[in-house]
Amino acid sequence: MTQKILLVEDDTTTADFIVKGLSEQGFAVDHANNGRDGLFHATDGTYDAIVLDRMLPGMDGMAVLGAIRAAGITTPVIILSALGAVEDRVAGLTAGSDDYLTKPFAFAELHARLKLLMRRATAGPASAVETVLTCHDLEMDLLSRKVKRGGRTLDLQPREFRLLEYLMRHKEQVVTRTMLLEGVWDYHFDPGTNVIDVHVSRLRKKIDGESDPPLIHTVRGAGYRLGASE
Amino acid sequence: MLKFWRSSTARFITLVFGIELILAAGMTLTLRTLTRAELTRDAQNYAGRLTGELAPLYLRQGPEDFRKLAALRVLFSEGRATVILLADAKGKPIAGNLQGWPAGLNAGWSEIELYRNGSATPEQMGVLVTRLPDGTRLLTGQIIENDRRLSRIVDRATGTALIFGLPLALFAAFAAVRIINARVNDISETARAVSAGQLSQRVWLDGSGDTFDRLAATLNAMLERIEALISELRIVTDGLAHDLRSPLTRLKARLERAQVEDDEASLRNAITLAGEETDRLLGMLTTALQISRAEAGIGRDHFVAADLGEMIADIAELYEPLVEDRGFTMEVACPSGPIVPMHRELIGQAVGNLIDNALKYGAQSLRIATGTDAGLAWIEVSDRGAGIPEDQRAEALRRFGRLDPSRTGFGAGLGLSLVGAVARLHGGTIELGDAAPGLKVRLSIPLGQPPTSPRA
Repeated sequence: MTQKILLVEDDTTTADFIVKGLSEQGFAVDHANNGRDGLFHATDGTYDAIVLDRMLPGMDGMAVLGAIRAAGITTPVIILSALGAVEDRVAGLTAGSDDYLTKPFAFAELHARLKLLMRRATAGPASAVETVLTCHDLEMDLLSRKVKRGGRTLDLQPREFRLLEYLMRHKEQVVTRTMLLEGVWDYHFDPGTNVIDVHVSRLRKKIDGESDPPLIHTVRGAGYRLGASE
Repeated sequence: MLKFWRSSTARFITLVFGIELILAAGMTLTLRTLTRAELTRDAQNYAGRLTGELAPLYLRQGPEDFRKLAALRVLFSEGRATVILLADAKGKPIAGNLQGWPAGLNAGWSEIELYRNGSATPEQMGVLVTRLPDGTRLLTGQIIENDRRLSRIVDRATGTALIFGLPLALFAAFAAVRIINARVNDISETARAVSAGQLSQRVWLDGSGDTFDRLAATLNAMLERIEALISELRIVTDGLAHDLRSPLTRLKARLERAQVEDDEASLRNAITLAGEETDRLLGMLTTALQISRAEAGIGRDHFVAADLGEMIADIAELYEPLVEDRGFTMEVACPSGPIVPMHRELIGQAVGNLIDNALKYGAQSLRIATGTDAGLAWIEVSDRGAGIPEDQRAEALRRFGRLDPSRTGFGAGLGLSLVGAVARLHGGTIELGDAAPGLKVRLSIPLGQPPTSPRA
């Protein structure tokens, strides 16, 4: 089934860019160029996710979000905003958004986060009780904190363990560097792109160094993906 | 002219003058009333005493003895001009020194004009009239003409004093206004100079610590802060303009070259490089925004109490692989504690920037340490590079920005400016020291509550 996404964005160039990108990825996208129309569409409740610009003519994005949540609609919402400070992020998340993306952003980042949100929304809370995560011949026991690849135990640092855990919980999905920084280190600042790359490349050496097929893939211009397929 | 009377100077003068006028008039009036009352009471007492002495004498011993004593009392009269008159029921004089019983005079105290024996002019006198049991009437009292004159002299004297006092009051009012105006003018001159761009102008202090001095000191502190903010802002914007120019120039050059390229590989390469330049530019803009927000005190309400040692160890751990990849060794001396209220993201970013800086200009190894010292929590990042000569540290610290034009790290100046801004946001400081060899940067923040007012 095609997933439907509502985009509320007043800047035509940005909107075209997002609509084109999401359509290419196989989503059905509806676009509203102001807050009132956006709210009107959102109350249909038939969307899988909503991408909401924060600064909109007519009705502010935060107000739209408040109205959506007040109407009892639980559709995942990603806020797009030029205001990138932690304070603004916190304000957005408290108002009921599920994620917050600072402009300018890479399309891959938006795509990865949308996929994550929609998967989370459909999977429900059941995934929380998993104690063993697997991917191909890689196995992670969350209780004994042991990681094995093809029966061979891997020696991971605590932080490498958490990094791998994040990748395994989102296997076959693209995770971006900022998603890793937020998910594993709980930081929202930009430490320079290299920092995360070095961590991943160390982890990759331990996971894929002596085994085939490689499980950690670099996705050009986006981030990383854990999975057996190329 | 109308405008002058509306001014606070005119109003102040009028007020001071008015108050002094009311005060002088009040004093004169009080003095006059009190003098009058005292003189009258004295005359009444005297008349009462006389009546008390003479009336029983007349009733007991008859008019002859009365006449003798009355004559005696008129002669020896305590320095007063005494008047006594005894008259029968019809008003015919029996004894005394008045020419006749005045018509229509009632019992009690009155002040009237009467003739003394042998006098051709009437005199003002205060008299007490008493009706005796046998129908005769007794009048006692004294001439009060002199008292009146005295009281008139007092009136005139105070009036004269008042007239001389008026210009004095006016002068005092003007002087007071002038003194106040001089201080206010001084402040307004300074404000005008600052508005005109002379940011280093300060209000003159006389050192007395009075209200004006305190106002001036407060204003000076405000001007100090404004000047610091503006010069910081200028450094940041200058630095930004400088730092933005090179990546923008490269970006433009690459795009121009790409326009004439044919093969796909070099086009793709040009696009990738342009993307990287754009990322760099965006990063610098983000930093500049963070600096201006931190300098404005935005984010203080997002301070959370966190374990500084653990947090910095965390940051160090985040950077460790990168540091090792660059061929450096890293020593981390961050014991757990203390718990400090801070902006976690900004402190993290600041320490990250310091590590980046150490990687750029240091050599072989770097050291990250935390600790406490005299009410402050500190974070130290030291490198083993060339360091900064002691005489250049003040300059380096003042700008905490680009130190040497030949240092060509992208936005390195901005990164350090952000560290300075983050320290100030926390009410803390940056110190540069010698790591022997190398540079030691210490960021100190208060252990207690950060300043609550953004503009403190």
